[in-house]
Amino acid sequence: MKKSILTIAALFMWITFATAADPAYEAAMKKQITAMNSIPDLETSQQVTNGFMRISEAKKEEWLPLYYAAYNQIIAAFRFDVNKDQYFDQALELVKKAEEIAPDNSEITTLHGYAIMGKLSIDPASRGQEMSPQAMQLFGKAINLDRANPRAVTMMAQMELGMAQFFGSGPEKACGMGRMALDLYKKEEAKISEDYILPTWGKSQANEVASKCN
Amino acid sequence: MKATFLFLTLLFLQVSIAFGQSIISGQINDEKGVALPGVNIFIKDSFDGTSSKLDGSFEFPTELKGNQILIFQFLGFKSKEIEINCDQETVKIPEIRLIEMITEMNAVTISAGAMQASDQSKSVILKPLDIVTTPSAMGDIMGAFQTLPGTSTVGNDGRLFVRGGDASEVGIYIDGMRVGNAYGTTTGNVPTRTRFNPNLFKGTFFSTGGYSAEYGQALSSALALNTKDLSIRSQGDLSLMTVGGGYSHTLANEKQSITASANYFNLGPYQQLIKQKVDFEQAPRSWDLEVAAQKKTGKNGLLKVMARTESGGMKLWQPLPGTDKRILVDLRNDYSYAQANWRTILKKDWMIFTGISYSKNLDNIAYDSLKVERSNQLIHMKATATKDFSDRLSAKFGLEHFIHPFSEKLVEENQVRNYKDQETYAFTEWDYYFNKSLVLRSGLRAGISTVSDQKWLDPRASLAYQLGDKGQLSFAAGKFHQLPLENYRVVNTNLQNSESDHLILNYLFSKEGFTFRAETFYKSYDGLVTFEGSETAPINLENGASGYAKGVDFFFRDRKTFKETDYWITYSFVDSKRSFNQFQTRVQPSFAPKHNLSVVVKHFFVNLKSQLGMSFSYNDGYTYSDPNVDNSAMNAKTKSFQNLSLSWSYLPKPNLIIHLACTNVLGRDNVFGYTYSQTPNETGVFESIPQGQLAPRFLFLGVFLTLSKDKTANNLNNL
Repeated sequence: MKKSILTIAALFMWITFATAADPAYEAAMKKQITAMNSIPDLETSQQVTNGFMRISEAKKEEWLPLYYAAYNQIIAAFRFDVNKDQYFDQALELVKKAEEIAPDNSEITTLHGYAIMGKLSIDPASRGQEMSPQAMQLFGKAINLDRANPRAVTMMAQMELGMAQFFGSGPEKACGMGRMALDLYKKEEAKISEDYILPTWGKSQANEVASKCN
Repeated sequence: MKATFLFLTLLFLQVSIAFGQSIISGQINDEKGVALPGVNIFIKDSFDGTSSKLDGSFEFPTELKGNQILIFQFLGFKSKEIEINCDQETVKIPEIRLIEMITEMNAVTISAGAMQASDQSKSVILKPLDIVTTPSAMGDIMGAFQTLPGTSTVGNDGRLFVRGGDASEVGIYIDGMRVGNAYGTTTGNVPTRTRFNPNLFKGTFFSTGGYSAEYGQALSSALALNTKDLSIRSQGDLSLMTVGGGYSHTLANEKQSITASANYFNLGPYQQLIKQKVDFEQAPRSWDLEVAAQKKTGKNGLLKVMARTESGGMKLWQPLPGTDKRILVDLRNDYSYAQANWRTILKKDWMIFTGISYSKNLDNIAYDSLKVERSNQLIHMKATATKDFSDRLSAKFGLEHFIHPFSEKLVEENQVRNYKDQETYAFTEWDYYFNKSLVLRSGLRAGISTVSDQKWLDPRASLAYQLGDKGQLSFAAGKFHQLPLENYRVVNTNLQNSESDHLILNYLFSKEGFTFRAETFYKSYDGLVTFEGSETAPINLENGASGYAKGVDFFFRDRKTFKETDYWITYSFVDSKRSFNQFQTRVQPSFAPKHNLSVVVKHFFVNLKSQLGMSFSYNDGYTYSDPNVDNSAMNAKTKSFQNLSLSWSYLPKPNLIIHLACTNVLGRDNVFGYTYSQTPNETGVFESIPQGQLAPRFLFLGVFLTLSKDKTANNLNNL
């Protein structure tokens, strides 16, 4: 009896071990992330999104490929001349799938807010009323889920800056949050190693917000 | 040892790559044979794959052997899977054609008669926010719709009049459920308002004809208001206005939300400051209480419940033409409305909706010594099921039942007359996309009424065709039935449906920031009710009358040319004649002016944190019967109606809004008709009293404050 429990325990440990480290998956992710960081044109951007989608098809239990596919679509919508609503909508769909795999994840929640922010930016006059509180709420939730997530704080700082500009008040609050985010990025950088595949983006945005008070 | 093992493994891997790799290549095109770049191609359950190049070609290596499944995926296209064998060194795939999916975003939509206000659809004419920021609307939904094509403004009535139809010909729905007595009861020349706050709704669908088989009992128009889904945060909204005040509180989490509100309005203090032309004994006043709740059920379900009760009234002196006498009109109105609806998505692309609504309206009106009590109740039960058979074919099936008791009582005489109708409807509607640019919608609606003892059938169809990149042409035709007004049916319960046939041709051009819409229509009327005697005491009611309305209307909106400026211009031409009510021959009704124009301009001043709004409405005048000309009906026309309104909204802080608005800034003395004395005076002239405005202008000042943990919350929607 005792032995069989031990066997089961060992088997279980082996399974967790096996899913934790899948070199093929990590290598594939690494390759796409590297490609993502130097996208010259829309065609390459689509290739990178497709790459993440392929990984996600093969590794259905991972949220990260979906996350990056969504992130890359958001960036493409901001950078290139595309049907922006369609890109943000697709990003939102991917975010939703990622949330099903990993509910209450601070990074996914932040990205959700980022996609909403993108939709808002297309038509701020008529979408602002509905979407700006929605984005704020998501960033707030993301911060609560993980207070060490620099991207959640950066995005919130950007929203604060936008509000301050609209209402003509000072950017001090936004800057403070920007600096806070920069501290968090420093801590995060200490953890980053060769095979780190978790999100690291957003530092330049934090820098930009923080620089508004100089 | 370990190192050797690793070396061996690596070597083995290398070898297998060198010898076992096969190259998969091919070409991907769309239906028409045009190359599709960016398609995701991969072998199922592996990391092997690539994207198609700009010329639609693709090529990638794989180490997999044997039979594999190759998947082609591309946003907006149907995915394709094929089986391939990877045992060869090169695997050449024959040309693959992907079929584009027809979605709401890329396909043509039926725009004949239809105008949507929402953030979602592409055929949007108004945004929800436009309703509250249109100056002449004064926060009333109908006020904003009166700036749209196909409508006419009847300033002393306030209701919505569409294309030569009277106000009762507009069917009003909340979340698909019919609303009985949607307007407040009024008297004299005091214009009414919609009972429901625009703040409740996330979007509206307004049709000026040729609408879906889902809607019945409306000859001219269907107005569908859709309530908001879950509130996103808890907050309190306080409003203080020159005409009253209110507070509303919302509690929300991710699964459910509830909003409770209370308002009190009293025009007394305002009317003491600003002189009114009507002598009010007691100024209009009212209170209301409302609760609305939303709850997510399961993964895709949403339950909405709403209940509202209100009470109001006014007392005013109505002068009698040709005499010094005047009579006191005392009006009291009590109204309750409740509804619940639930929608969810089931397996296999079925969507289910069920709902029930109840409204009860009680009017107590005293004209001098004549006291009338009217009670109108409406229970509506409805269930629909929608099925998407494919991206090309979808169908909707629905069943509705109405219970409709009405009673009218002369209080002093203790005389009561009443009826209780039961109506049942079944409808179905099928949408078929021949391709992305051509869609056909056909529907059928069947009805039965117990009191009229009548069965009827309404076939309807519409077609939309994409013209070029930005334009589309729509055509709609259909039959519409509507039972006469309750106060006529109660006199003669044998009255049958009136009916109308619609023919509509619509052109819509929309590109980012611009919308242009032109529509022409022909509408016939049959079985309209005529009577002898007066409107308040009709006799010999019959279904024998008929008429027509035809015309054309234009709408242009530009949100792009001028920075921070949004404007729209509407012109509607209506030629309408009908015999109806006391008119035994065909006349142009007083509510159908021929030429109607409106212009709305809004500009946001960033440095002032303010939005300035201007709206101008014009029509060429209302017909009326002048007995001093001859004894024919509708032989005269008032001077033109003109109204220039301005508004200013100021946002000093994110959670505070100050709103100032003024209608008819130029103080034009608009007249909507005349009432004449029954008999001529000693010089042989029938003396008259103009039906005018309550006051030259209406001035509104309101302060709206939102209290929330989230400092950016504001209640712009409450304006």
